Amino acid sequence: MDNISSLNYFIPELTLTLTILVLIIYDLFLKKEESNYTVYVAAAGLVFTLVMLLSSYSNVETSLFLGMVAHDPFSFFFKFLFVLTAFFTVIISSTSLEMKGKFHGEFNTFVLLITLGMFLLVSATNLLLVYIAFELVSVTSYIVAGYLKDSKRGSEAALKYVIYGGVSSGIMLYGFSLLYGLTGTLEIAEIGRILSQNNSGNLTVLVSFLMILAGFGYKIASVPFHFWAPDVYEGAPTAFTAFLSVGPKAAGFALLIRFLNTAFVSQDNVNMASWGALEQLAWPEIMMWISAITMTLGNLVALKQDNIKRLLAYSSIAHAGYVLMGIVVLTQDGLFAMMFYLSAYYLMNLGAFFVVLNVADRFGSEEIDGYNGLVYKAPFLAVCMGIFMFSLAGIPPTVGFIGKFYLFAALIKGGSAYYPLAIIGALNSVVSLYYYARVLRAMFVRGEAVDSEMPIIKTPVAVIGMLAFPVLILGLYWAPLSDFAHASLKILITH
Amino acid sequence: MESFVFYIFALMTITGGWIVIYSRNLIYSAFSLLITFVGLAGLYGLLMADFIAATQILIYAGAVLILLLFGIMLTARKTSIEITQSNLPRLPGAIISSLIFLLLMVVIFSEPNWNSATNPGVRETVPMIGKLLMTKYLIPFELASILLLAALIGSVFIARREES
Repeated sequence: MDNISSLNYFIPELTLTLTILVLIIYDLFLKKEESNYTVYVAAAGLVFTLVMLLSSYSNVETSLFLGMVAHDPFSFFFKFLFVLTAFFTVIISSTSLEMKGKFHGEFNTFVLLITLGMFLLVSATNLLLVYIAFELVSVTSYIVAGYLKDSKRGSEAALKYVIYGGVSSGIMLYGFSLLYGLTGTLEIAEIGRILSQNNSGNLTVLVSFLMILAGFGYKIASVPFHFWAPDVYEGAPTAFTAFLSVGPKAAGFALLIRFLNTAFVSQDNVNMASWGALEQLAWPEIMMWISAITMTLGNLVALKQDNIKRLLAYSSIAHAGYVLMGIVVLTQDGLFAMMFYLSAYYLMNLGAFFVVLNVADRFGSEEIDGYNGLVYKAPFLAVCMGIFMFSLAGIPPTVGFIGKFYLFAALIKGGSAYYPLAIIGALNSVVSLYYYARVLRAMFVRGEAVDSEMPIIKTPVAVIGMLAFPVLILGLYWAPLSDFAHASLKILITH
Repeated sequence: MESFVFYIFALMTITGGWIVIYSRNLIYSAFSLLITFVGLAGLYGLLMADFIAATQILIYAGAVLILLLFGIMLTARKTSIEITQSNLPRLPGAIISSLIFLLLMVVIFSEPNWNSATNPGVRETVPMIGKLLMTKYLIPFELASILLLAALIGSVFIARREES
């Protein structure tokens, strides 16, 4: 579709861009103490974007801007998650004590810029656009990671993030260039077509793929590109950590799915995993190893953490490992399970970080010991955190359990070659139970009743409640979410 | 003749890069980056990409390098001569990078299916690039401008002094 008529399908992105520009200009007219007002503009813009997004939904796959951007249910699914994430993040950051007196206008602008980058990252079908969107997300994230300039941890986080990010996106670009050298095109679908025609050159494809995986793996924080995650999660403002742990991670997975699915997986047989050009390269085995090592390392290191943000950082690495189980099979079942799990993970992880933020604001602690007796001090928060922890550990009746169930089911259905990974995944779930239970024990068992009345800030508590409720409800009745994920399995293949 | 010119530019690029890494003086490193950039521009020129060669000189040699030099001179408290750099630990780094180099060489020379373009000869590339930027590559072009806006605001934000 040509550029002008594509604009009809591009209204959500245009709305988002317009909101960003309005935010930048509006912020100029505000005094520094008033910069918090920008949250209204950002939130209104996001709501408007959501409305536009919903109204632009279509059940067919369309290729926009002369084959640059895909407009399909798959990208809609992720865009929907991103808008909600950004919305909750700007709302909660405006109440956060950590951000008090800081420049909210810039913060909101950056969050929206990352959202725009993620929108294009999940819908790009051309490697050039993939790269630019990737950098838009990364560069903006570096800035926000170091947002708390008076904190040493924040500066360290930003610096580490920049260095790891620069190296991994450089390696990824080299991988792109090898693929371009082989095929002479940047269109992902075209690359897949040409690669399936000439069978030789497996080594080049494998090397370029491992290099590209460096970039994607960095976004989803999988081993061995995870080193930045704990420091960045700890040093960034907690509201942004919450955003970072779900948004860009989901975008990285979406990109990985689209890339593999478009370029390498033949669509002739939807139920069988058929790896097309990668068949001879032992690609599923490589992904299996990455998945197994990622979840094991994440869980084992999480055992030793005392800081709750670091604990959740390692837990999010482990969760990336679980989701990668879906990539290993890459059947329709696997993709569905990944999307279901990512949305479940979105609810519970965002919620858990928001509780961390609220507890840090009210009781001034980010250590697990600071959660002692939380149930007496802030019963609602403690119960919500309990729900999130149960869900992260994958215990019924929560949505985390259903998500994990689908992942394992897809893996086992894929064939007996995947059983070892399923066993490792199950063992990991047991290990992870220990450190989630530590938080639960601190909140409910340890500590004693105190009757210090702490002022309750209503907005964050309401947001946390809004996230905890669906975790429970979707754990009992998950048909709406699974229907949505099933309907979103349509990925644009050719143009 | 053409291969002779190629080797000169290639030599410039590699020598420049060599000095960047091995010079202990950061200012020398920054200046030898200039040699690399000019060598690269020459290589682009040989590939008949005149526009990219020109932008390489304008942006990298002209703007980025100057900024780099200003950055080094203005941010360091000490005078320029004493600023040093070191790349440690050397041995693991050397082993890893030689292995990667070896792997890439094997890939490049063992691959029979490289998609080789034919030499289009001397032509004007600027109108073609301009047309493509306004048609096929419109979205990446616009997104790049947003990326630059983000980077600009971000750098101002980072540089701004926080009053406390």
